[in-house]
Amino acid sequence: MAEPMLVVNNLKKYFKTPGGMLHAVDDISFTLEQGKTLGLVGESGCGKSTTGRVLLRLLDSTGGTMRFEGQDITNIQGAALRKLRRKMQIIFQDPFSSIDPRKTVSQTIREPITTNNIITGKAEVENRVLELMEMVGLTSRLTNTYPHELDGGRRQRIGIARAMAMEPRFIVCDEPVSALDVSIQAQILNLLKDLQRSNGLTYIFITHDLAVVHNFSDEIAVMYLGQIVEKSPTEELFKNPMHPYTKALLSAIPIPEYGHKKERIILKGEITSPISPKNECRFQSRCEHAFDKCRSECPPLVEITPGHLVACYLVK
Amino acid sequence: MSEKVLSIENLVVHYELEAETVHAVNGISLSIGKEETLGLVGETGAGKTTAALSIMRLIQSPPGAIKSGAVVLNGRDVTGLPIRRMEAIRGKEVAMIFQDPMTSLDPVFTVGDQIAESIALHEKLSKADAMKRAEEILELVGIPRSRALEYPHQFSGGMKQRVVIAIALSCNPSLLIADEPTTALDVTIQAQVLELMKELKNKYQTAMLMITHDLGVVSEICDNVAVMYAGRIVEVGSAKDIFLHTAHPYTEGLFNSLPNINARVESLKPIPGLMPNPAELPPGCAFAPRCSYAGERCHTSKPVPRELESGHIVECLAYDDPSFQIVRRWGNG
Repeated sequence: MAEPMLVVNNLKKYFKTPGGMLHAVDDISFTLEQGKTLGLVGESGCGKSTTGRVLLRLLDSTGGTMRFEGQDITNIQGAALRKLRRKMQIIFQDPFSSIDPRKTVSQTIREPITTNNIITGKAEVENRVLELMEMVGLTSRLTNTYPHELDGGRRQRIGIARAMAMEPRFIVCDEPVSALDVSIQAQILNLLKDLQRSNGLTYIFITHDLAVVHNFSDEIAVMYLGQIVEKSPTEELFKNPMHPYTKALLSAIPIPEYGHKKERIILKGEITSPISPKNECRFQSRCEHAFDKCRSECPPLVEITPGHLVACYLVK
Repeated sequence: MSEKVLSIENLVVHYELEAETVHAVNGISLSIGKEETLGLVGETGAGKTTAALSIMRLIQSPPGAIKSGAVVLNGRDVTGLPIRRMEAIRGKEVAMIFQDPMTSLDPVFTVGDQIAESIALHEKLSKADAMKRAEEILELVGIPRSRALEYPHQFSGGMKQRVVIAIALSCNPSLLIADEPTTALDVTIQAQVLELMKELKNKYQTAMLMITHDLGVVSEICDNVAVMYAGRIVEVGSAKDIFLHTAHPYTEGLFNSLPNINARVESLKPIPGLMPNPAELPPGCAFAPRCSYAGERCHTSKPVPRELESGHIVECLAYDDPSFQIVRRWGNG
């Protein structure tokens, strides 16, 4: 059997801070098949964006290995890295700060094409820009407009067109719809899904919104303080969450239905510091089920049922 | 009829810029009774925040101006009050919680000072007594009183929002305006803060205007709901009316574009297009260009409020046809 498109083993990213070593990503492993979507879910500061950036080699890892399409990309440099970057792209959260306010729509989309010499010839490049604009649902009338004249949804479409210009194989979507209104959010999610279908794209979808990821991902990894605490196929995770944190996270979502009553688990306290963590379960201080073992050892991620992995001593 | 804490009648607010006039709020009416929570729902630019700031008379002027209408707070119209009188009302009768707790606190004063400030001002207490009250309130919102001497940067986002809530409730206002109070918070923290707000609202019997774009938050905390679009309230009713008997095509569109956490779908059903520019509103119904039910008349004449059932009011011409019904795709509708 061929190796999955992306294989990540024991990936770590630490940052040096005055208070000690900050464990942003701490020993995570997963694989991702071509054409699939992995949802990376968690709250602010859990390391999900850092994971995305390390995967794209925008940050260097502290430890572990990453293989992309059979090639070890953990430490590649120079021309090899430049070649890799054409295949891996990112879509950012905030379409207001991720595009240059002084460039028009067509200039913005043209830039990656000419910089990387993907297409040569003035007319050909212009055609490609128009093609990309059509692909992401921007009318050609907007070619000469500036970002400030456009709403968030359209700006996000520019970001997507820019990523698509490289004809990537793999895209990290870092909270691509969090800054958008719901009606626009749905438009962008549908667009991303269509692009995935027609281009065979592989996504890592980073979000804090479990409802969004439910609709979008094949598999979900829940992160807490730099570690994956639960990983499972999407349907299974929603039907049968096992980790206490995942359960609390699911129960905390307000459901837009009248008279919706459910057992709500209100977590005590807040996320603890990722600086020099002790050898213990990172969630134990907020967990109502924690017992002695949770305070003396960090639980490993183990497969409980096929494909469903959980890092908790309570789950057997 | 029960006594109303707030009633807004036909409020019109414009921003008069050099090049254009932005029609932010175009004749809205709503009322909130004692202990009632009204959810004001809509997307960015619908005019929700402008409406809320008008109640507090905090619209920056110029360019903003309340063109007509009345804002009756505890029986008196505040639209024409001199600023001095208004200052006595703000914080005392009506208080506001803003979306971003990071920017609504002053970084150079301790949180205790900031809570005590409004108490000392409105309750004519000495500084020491005000500080004591501040510490009590801090404890009430779930923060140990010893932390009153700390500065905002020493608190997390959720804790800061608790401090903001403490300031808002410090003088026991009859109306609390919460403008997206949990949007900037993580879900587990959002759950904590909503729980706290519910608890305090019941304890102090405060009426609340909850501004949000999150229909989940609405179902969680609101008794009644007003849906706002392009400066108009297009549908208003009890939470049950809005969730179970959705009437306006825009409200339907909002529900349909939400990813449903209980069911996976192949693709979402977004509302096509964008909200019209509030400086160039269409002559007919503002939602008509995006509405799949819109007929010719919708593009030329403005709809008027129509009461479908007691208290459930919708502004839509399609209901001229008595057999008209919209289709909700999911939820318990």
